[in-house]
Amino acid sequence: MSLLSLDKATIQFGGLIAVNQVSFSLDKGDIFGLIGPNGAGKTTCFNLITGIYEPTGGSVTFDGKVIAKAGKSAGPESIAKMGICRTFQNIRLYGSLSAIENVMVGGFLRHRTGLFSALFDLKRAADETVELREAGMKLLQAVGLDDVADVRSRDLPYGSQRRLEIARAMATQPKLLLLDEPAAGMNPQEKMDLMEVVRSIRDQFGMTVLLIEHDMRFVMGLCEKIFVLDHGEEIAFGLPEEVRANPKVIAAYLGEAH
Amino acid sequence: MIHSFTDLLAGASLTTLPQQLASGILLGAIYALIALGYTMVYGVLKLINFAHGEVYMLGAYTALFVTWALGFTPNAPNPPEARVWMLLIMLLASMTVCAIVGILIERFAYRPLRNQPRIASLITAIGLSLLLQYGGQLVLPVSPPPSIDSKVNPFSDNVKFVLKQGDSALLTQAAGFQPKVDQAQAAFDAQLKSEKSQFDLSPRGEELKKALEDVKREQKVVTDSANASKVEITLPKGQLIMLGMVVALMAALTYLVMFTKRGRAMRAVSLDFNASSLMGINVDSIVTFTFIVGSSLAGAGAMMTATFLPGTQINTYFGVLPGTKAFVAAVLGGIGNIPGAVLGGMLMGIAEVIVIWLGYDAYKDALAFVVLIAVLIFRPGGLLGSAKVEKV
Amino acid sequence: MDSVALRRLGFRLLWIALGVAFAFLVQWVALSSGQFNSNGQRLFFLAGLYVTLAVSLNLINGITGQFSMGHAAFYQVGAYTTGVLAAKFYSDGAGLASKYPLPWLIGMMFAGGLVAALAGFIVGLPSLRLKGDYLAIVTLGFGEIIRIIVQNQKSLGGSYGMDVKPKIDFIWLSTLLAIATIAISRNLLKNVHGLAFLAVREDEVASSAMGVRVTRIKIAAFLLGSALAGAAGALLAHHETFISKDTFPMDLSFIIVTMVVLGGTGSITGSTLAAITLYLIPERMRDLKDVPVSYAALGVIMLIVTVAFVRRTMEKDFSKLRTVKLVAPWFVSIVVVAVGGAALKNVGPLSKVIDGQQLRFVIFALTLITLMLLRPQGIFAHHEFSLQWLKKVLARFTKRSGEVAS
Ligand SMILES: Nc1ncnc2c1ncn2[C@@H]1O[C@H](COP(=O)(O)OP(=O)(O)OP(=O)(O)O)[C@@H](O)[C@H]1O
Ligand SMILES: [Mg+2]
Repeated sequence: MSLLSLDKATIQFGGLIAVNQVSFSLDKGDIFGLIGPNGAGKTTCFNLITGIYEPTGGSVTFDGKVIAKAGKSAGPESIAKMGICRTFQNIRLYGSLSAIENVMVGGFLRHRTGLFSALFDLKRAADETVELREAGMKLLQAVGLDDVADVRSRDLPYGSQRRLEIARAMATQPKLLLLDEPAAGMNPQEKMDLMEVVRSIRDQFGMTVLLIEHDMRFVMGLCEKIFVLDHGEEIAFGLPEEVRANPKVIAAYLGEAH
Repeated sequence: MIHSFTDLLAGASLTTLPQQLASGILLGAIYALIALGYTMVYGVLKLINFAHGEVYMLGAYTALFVTWALGFTPNAPNPPEARVWMLLIMLLASMTVCAIVGILIERFAYRPLRNQPRIASLITAIGLSLLLQYGGQLVLPVSPPPSIDSKVNPFSDNVKFVLKQGDSALLTQAAGFQPKVDQAQAAFDAQLKSEKSQFDLSPRGEELKKALEDVKREQKVVTDSANASKVEITLPKGQLIMLGMVVALMAALTYLVMFTKRGRAMRAVSLDFNASSLMGINVDSIVTFTFIVGSSLAGAGAMMTATFLPGTQINTYFGVLPGTKAFVAAVLGGIGNIPGAVLGGMLMGIAEVIVIWLGYDAYKDALAFVVLIAVLIFRPGGLLGSAKVEKV
Repeated sequence: MDSVALRRLGFRLLWIALGVAFAFLVQWVALSSGQFNSNGQRLFFLAGLYVTLAVSLNLINGITGQFSMGHAAFYQVGAYTTGVLAAKFYSDGAGLASKYPLPWLIGMMFAGGLVAALAGFIVGLPSLRLKGDYLAIVTLGFGEIIRIIVQNQKSLGGSYGMDVKPKIDFIWLSTLLAIATIAISRNLLKNVHGLAFLAVREDEVASSAMGVRVTRIKIAAFLLGSALAGAAGALLAHHETFISKDTFPMDLSFIIVTMVVLGGTGSITGSTLAAITLYLIPERMRDLKDVPVSYAALGVIMLIVTVAFVRRTMEKDFSKLRTVKLVAPWFVSIVVVAVGGAALKNVGPLSKVIDGQQLRFVIFALTLITLMLLRPQGIFAHHEFSLQWLKKVLARFTKRSGEVAS
């Protein structure tokens, strides 16, 4: 059974249909690519899956449960709890918190102790804080940021911020991780490193990955399946080689008349 | 406690409604004028200019000083007649002084903080507002609270608009009572002379007193119903002129914003401050210009209020309540939106008099906020504004 | 219990003991030192309440980022709740409150806090939909509505006000409430829960995508902040013995917000220090007698010149003399005002005097503007006082002066 499936999902903003009857499904363990020219509706798909926007039509099913259907969504907080987490295209870190604190916030959603125990600094709250900090340090290590754990995130270089976002999302222990243009603004070496990180996310942490990326080499080198959107509609789906050869995809990217 | 709609209306008489609405529109016009200043500044700087109410207060003082300079000093034999040109001088002086104050405030309190978090400017704005209120106490005449001499206003006679003639039978009947009342009064007065004390009347005296009271009561009943049968609005001429001037100022503002180059630049800055500066618009000069326009409108409003609303007393807190309400009006209409400020101001003015009309004077200041909260919760962008959707 | 837990408990008890001891120390200083008359004692008492107000608003404004401008209303609700209960249970010195003043007062702190928390819940609801300026306006409006309603309730004394009897006056309790408020805020920030509050402040969308329950956190912040302010109100009511609309003017909310911002939004240390300073500035100047115009006028002129000069230096001047140029102008202006003021004291219109009582609010407003212009991020910015922080600052300072020397 598939982990996530979209069934004719549609989002309309006023007159603009940003996502139009899109259907695809991900199996557990996939590294799945979502590509398309600017404004194709990729990020909107992410917002739909993570509950930030509600679909105007169709439905989204995750892990056997319907998490969104026309005019209704379980909402970002419960969807995160069910096991979907994401990064943002225009980085949305907590700028004045340090790297490790950012990751700890990610881990907070599975907290067991109540607010009361924190306000009185009871042992169980303190223990949990220590636990989350240690778990967070491990994740920072996994993305290679353990040496800047105490640096304010807004002071980190761009590439590190992107990796920090990944670590923060991983801290929620998702089954499915959505990455929105994780390699944007990175140099070739950083991109190579990032590919390794994404592979290890799947192999070591057992997460399924859905990613948006404009860098074709990155996508083709990493993803096992690729879904292509243009103007909110599916124009191709398949293995990297198939997609690369698809004339519709070439037309969409090169802007030929269609 | 209010149990039903009829209870709510118990204190109000429907025939006075038009008069109240007219006052509401006048009040609203002033709120609108002040609200424009808030909204325009918010439009370009996204800053709530908390000191705007104090600019308005300084406008009223300026008008006062002009009248003093022209000879209308308290306790002095005042010149017999004022002329229209004098009102014009007052208006121009108020607008100019307020514009200058606006420029200074922007230049020295807001511009240095433009690249800082907005809350910093908000705090200096609060500080400035306190400074002008308290500092004003030191240098401005405050006690006894001065007001502009009524002789300054040559338009104090009333204009009456009759919407519905009274019931003529009732009116004549009411008029007919006066001789009867006079007669009873005379009889009683005559009797009183022969009484030992007015608190200890003889039986004859008691009888006359009762007769007088009866006839008076009857007169009141008939007069009330006669009055209730007619619907009219009475307004001093000055206030009508004030309304006309507000409309003219708004028309001028519309022209300025919609059809001049500066106005277009101003709209561009309010859409996107940074992009505008990249496109070669001199944003500093546009911001200054915005403060000039907004503040001088407040000055005009202050001069007119102080002159045409009889008995208006001026003190350094003169701007606090109108300022707060005008600010609410700006938000109500959609802050940053110019027609919205006018609409919001009018609605606030009318809503306020309606609450008074219903007999809830004590709550008239709370009403502003109740309306505001309701609007913001159900339509966060205000009536004419649109709430910004954050793209993720 | 293992030894680690025992140690923890030991430390906790030690801290509590220190807090209580400090509170009694404050009371002792207030009561014993001869120079403090009853007005001076009031100063200590109110300083504790202002710290409570500022630090509790910092929970809402600074830590959770919900721009609330109606904090005085919660203070007022707490005070009036106490007023009503006291009136019910007071009968000519024989009631509960007179027999057991301390338990009664502590009970009132809870009652006032509870009712204020209810108000806080209602005021907090709009924060679920509104942000930034709009939220500020709505909370301001709610504060005003509460004020106006209280003013017009006959049962609450209307616009005249109401008596709260008997007078109960424990300075240490006000200090202790302030300490408790600080401790609660600090505990929150020490634990991961506090990070979730900060996360809501920094980015709501990202937080909800991380599964942080934004709604709950905002409401929790409002409940907590308003309850603490309500408890402060309860103390105030029994201390003043008379409360009215003038006890809670509209400016009060502004002043509390100012304390938070001036201290450095989010910094507990900053809110505490700013609360004490901003409260003391106008209070200590109550004794200010008449001031000749010459001093006042020169003072304002020199302040403007100094601020302009210092701002210029901060922005443009990185020479060796920077530090000197930042500090020296203040001393120069003080000397100029002192000497010039004295010299011009008898010159024509400058010899007139200004009532010191009116001047003190002007000075307050000027302080506020000056501080914001020179340090918009607040005195402490986002830092907290700690030994580590102190070391870091000192290290930076010595390094910088080292550079200048070389
Ligand atoms: N909240 C919104 N309101 C209105 N229109 C929106 C909103 N969010 C996105 N859109 C529009 O939907 C379309 C798709 O946007 P989306 O961000 O999904 O594109 P994308 O495929 O991620 O593009 P890019 O590669 O540039 O990130 C665009 O035209 C965008 O302007
Ligand atoms: Mg995108």
